Amino acid sequence: MPVQEARGEATVTAAPTGTPAVIDLVAAARTYPGPPPVHALRPTDLTVRRAEYIAVVGPSGSGKSTLLNVIGLVDRPTGGHYRLDGIDTGRLPEADRTALRGHRIGLVFQAFHLLPYRTATENVMLAQVYLGTPRARRRTEAVDALLAVGLGHRLDALPSAMSGGERQRVAIARALVNRPSLLLCDEPTGNLDSGSAGRVMNTLDALNDSGITLVVITHDPAVAARARRIITIRDGQLAEDSGQPSVGSPA
Amino acid sequence: MRRPARRPRHPGIPRTRMVLRDLAAESVAGILQRPARTALTVLGTLLGVGAFVAILGLTATARGQISSDFTVLAATQVTVKDVGAPDPAQQTGAATRYDFPDDADQRAERLGGAVHAGTYWQVFKTPPAVSTRSGPATGAAAGSQGAEGLTVYAASPGLLQAVGPTLSSGTLYNTFHDSRRMHVAVIGSAVARRLGISNLAAQPAVFVNGTPYTVVGILQNVERLPNLLLSVMIPGRTARADYGDPAPDYAATMLIQTRVGAARLIAQQAPLALRPDRPDHLQAVPPPAPHALQDSVTGSLDSLFLLLAGITLVIGTVGIANTTLVSVLERTGEIGLRRSLGARPRHIAAQFLTESAVLGTLGGLLGTAVSIVVTLSVALAHNWTAILDPWTTLPAPLIGTLTGLLAGAYPALRAARIEPAEALRR
Repeated sequence: MPVQEARGEATVTAAPTGTPAVIDLVAAARTYPGPPPVHALRPTDLTVRRAEYIAVVGPSGSGKSTLLNVIGLVDRPTGGHYRLDGIDTGRLPEADRTALRGHRIGLVFQAFHLLPYRTATENVMLAQVYLGTPRARRRTEAVDALLAVGLGHRLDALPSAMSGGERQRVAIARALVNRPSLLLCDEPTGNLDSGSAGRVMNTLDALNDSGITLVVITHDPAVAARARRIITIRDGQLAEDSGQPSVGSPA
Repeated sequence: MRRPARRPRHPGIPRTRMVLRDLAAESVAGILQRPARTALTVLGTLLGVGAFVAILGLTATARGQISSDFTVLAATQVTVKDVGAPDPAQQTGAATRYDFPDDADQRAERLGGAVHAGTYWQVFKTPPAVSTRSGPATGAAAGSQGAEGLTVYAASPGLLQAVGPTLSSGTLYNTFHDSRRMHVAVIGSAVARRLGISNLAAQPAVFVNGTPYTVVGILQNVERLPNLLLSVMIPGRTARADYGDPAPDYAATMLIQTRVGAARLIAQQAPLALRPDRPDHLQAVPPPAPHALQDSVTGSLDSLFLLLAGITLVIGTVGIANTTLVSVLERTGEIGLRRSLGARPRHIAAQFLTESAVLGTLGGLLGTAVSIVVTLSVALAHNWTAILDPWTTLPAPLIGTLTGLLAGAYPALRAARIEPAEALRR
């Protein structure tokens, strides 16, 4: 995926390491207007590079969802900057943010959000509708994505006939089918028993090994333990567990 | 994206879109997800559009029958009234009036398109004594062999033919009787029954105020002027010789039977043909224009039923709106997912609008089909000719489409406003 240069604005250079930054939050903050105003996300710096595997952990109400929404381009930060693939998203019109979300971010939800009357392949193909993927290519790409999550044997199964773990892997395949820069998972194992959760986590591990950038938001320490970097969020403040200096609040 | 950018955009990210085929596929899939609910929703529009088309079809069919009954007689009939001098100054003092020429029947029948023509008028102001016995009829005598309340008409020979007579026995009197002012009469079948006349072989006579008239024929039925069946008819010139010209209140009227399509032209020509010297003494009444007739017959009925159909349609609209709204609320998660996959609010709105439009169109199509069947069945049951106006029947499914679009507008707007964040939390 080519890295796009932000236009106009003075570009804050990505971190000195060679790999380009997928996510670059600079003093990004989200405050919900009051009274009293709620500082769901205090000014935060965060850089996530290509092929990183990051877990964001924190109790409920800590600002995990706000961070997810900001990174997922679902919500706009009220302060600071957010660059995705080097593109400054703050100034983009909504249609372009939607386009960026569709092309560059694969979202995986706790509730799977599969359409119940469609087969696994058809559910994955839904992600291609809005990007205008030629119809002839859709099925093969969807099948490839399902193969990548190890569901080659469930291509034509309906969600009702699949286990929770299989459903979540269909959802992961759907998030992957458009080759995003970032796979953003919100409590991916929250609805799963430990066996299914383990298989889903194995799938995520394998995807990361093949070069996919992963951000997993969870409250489950076992899930977080799989990640290479663990970031804790508490009261809207981010803190890096591993003590690396790339995360912190501007003083 | 071919659309020129109006705002600064990043060149590397093409905007998301939804091609028509995907829009159609997604909408149809949404409809087919819940077949039972879809069927019930469609039912509302089906009934509305169906009622609409059926009412139009049935009224058009019924109207067609009414006018076909009417037109045969009404459209081939011209009446010419003797109105006398148009100037009131010339009218005063005239006790009687007769402005038709002696050869009025022949003059009128010579007009192109005319079949039969003749004049008639009521001879007596007060009902005369009519009986089969001579001498003044007493109350007792009238009981058995006389009859009261019978009318005596002076009718030219041409008139008897123009009314479309069916004789039960005897013949009509003709110009020979008329020109010789013979005392003959044709009586209606009802009169014959009341007077006890059944056999004309003995040449029975009726006495009108004591004057005998030989009955030459009995009318069983007439197509026009049905009150002739309750009357005694005597030749026009006989009547004028015996009783003088008709009084202004009972002025003579000419009835012209025409071929189809000739009536209105004949109505223009008749006064001049009959009285070249004084056409203004005669006033021709053409048959009513076909449209005026039809409209007056069914116009009020139409609007009432159409109002009902409109109400049904509104109910159908509310039904679709309700179902689509419920569906939007129910599918909030799906909408959020689609938004996260790159759908813009307009794509979401378009999808739900298409769904409701398809529902409406489906209802419109089915409703039109059902109403055509209903109209045909009713027409067949009555032996009528079914009349379906293509200008109202063929676009009828579009009413369903419009209904669907109208009903889907608000739910689609609601769906478009759903934020992905709130939807994905579910």
